[in-house]
Amino acid sequence: MHLPDGLLDPITIIVLWIITIAVMIFGYFRMGKMFEKEDSEKLIPYIGVLAAVIFAFQFVNYPVPGGTSGHLVGGTLVAIILGPWASVIVLFLILVIQSLFGDGGITVLGVNAFNMGIIGGIVGFYLVMLFVRLLNHTSMKKEYKLTIATAIGSYMAIVLASFICGIEIAIGGTIPFEIAVPAMVFWHLLIGIGEGIISALIVFYIYKTKPDFITTESILGVK
Amino acid sequence: MGVIKRNKWPLIIILIISTTLMIVIAVGFTIGFLSENPDGLERVLIDYYGEEWLEGLSSPWIPILSWLNNDYIAGIVGIILSIAIMMGIFYLITHFKKRKLK
Repeated sequence: MHLPDGLLDPITIIVLWIITIAVMIFGYFRMGKMFEKEDSEKLIPYIGVLAAVIFAFQFVNYPVPGGTSGHLVGGTLVAIILGPWASVIVLFLILVIQSLFGDGGITVLGVNAFNMGIIGGIVGFYLVMLFVRLLNHTSMKKEYKLTIATAIGSYMAIVLASFICGIEIAIGGTIPFEIAVPAMVFWHLLIGIGEGIISALIVFYIYKTKPDFITTESILGVK
Repeated sequence: MGVIKRNKWPLIIILIISTTLMIVIAVGFTIGFLSENPDGLERVLIDYYGEEWLEGLSSPWIPILSWLNNDYIAGIVGIILSIAIMMGIFYLITHFKKRKLK
């Protein structure tokens, strides 16, 4: 879902850059209290590792039927671990690094961060929160509630991000709306399955072995 | 030396996970379970315009690491860069947040 340079119109690019920068500045001030604690430096190496995991998972493409491939975006996953506001900054930095390799354009960094960080991260996080609260009405174990909510939330976030991406391409005039949006959504309905499964498995593993790392457990309302 | 001692476990975890990721990338491309097929967005653009059009899109710059054609090397460099940049930025974030509290 990495948009290249030369695809979108300048107005779409400028508007989404402004939104992304505004969300990142707002996010800096809203970021969890965990970054203000006395021993918060201890978190930094783990954030580095998380970044490496997301970079590597975005780098490796798994085959998807129909002659395409998918890779983890990881916005929802980062948002569950570090919080929704930190996820936009993490995704933006990963996209900067990827653009150095030519994966995603430099002028559209703000657009890619909007799609993968804000839609994939923040919106995905609140979708997970919604499903956790729905599952709280069942007698399921906590870890299963979070795992299932992560799978559904991250799947929906990817499909939604692809829908928004299709609209951006259509606004840019590259491909007509009636072709861009259904095509983007169709492929990501398949690709998103991988995103949902991988994100859910990682969250399940961390929650079972080191639950403290899921710093948003109380915000998500896992009971 | 003291810094290394204090952060022994995080550093060990970074090494283990980075090595695992590099092995996954290397093995994945070698035995071919990873795909060279275009991703969802590329698929849509190729279906509509063809591959040549996609490669001919204009960009205001040449990505500074695009000369790294080897997937293994690019993966390793990317992982190292991700760890370094993310740790640097989040060190600054925690530093400024704590300084503001004082």
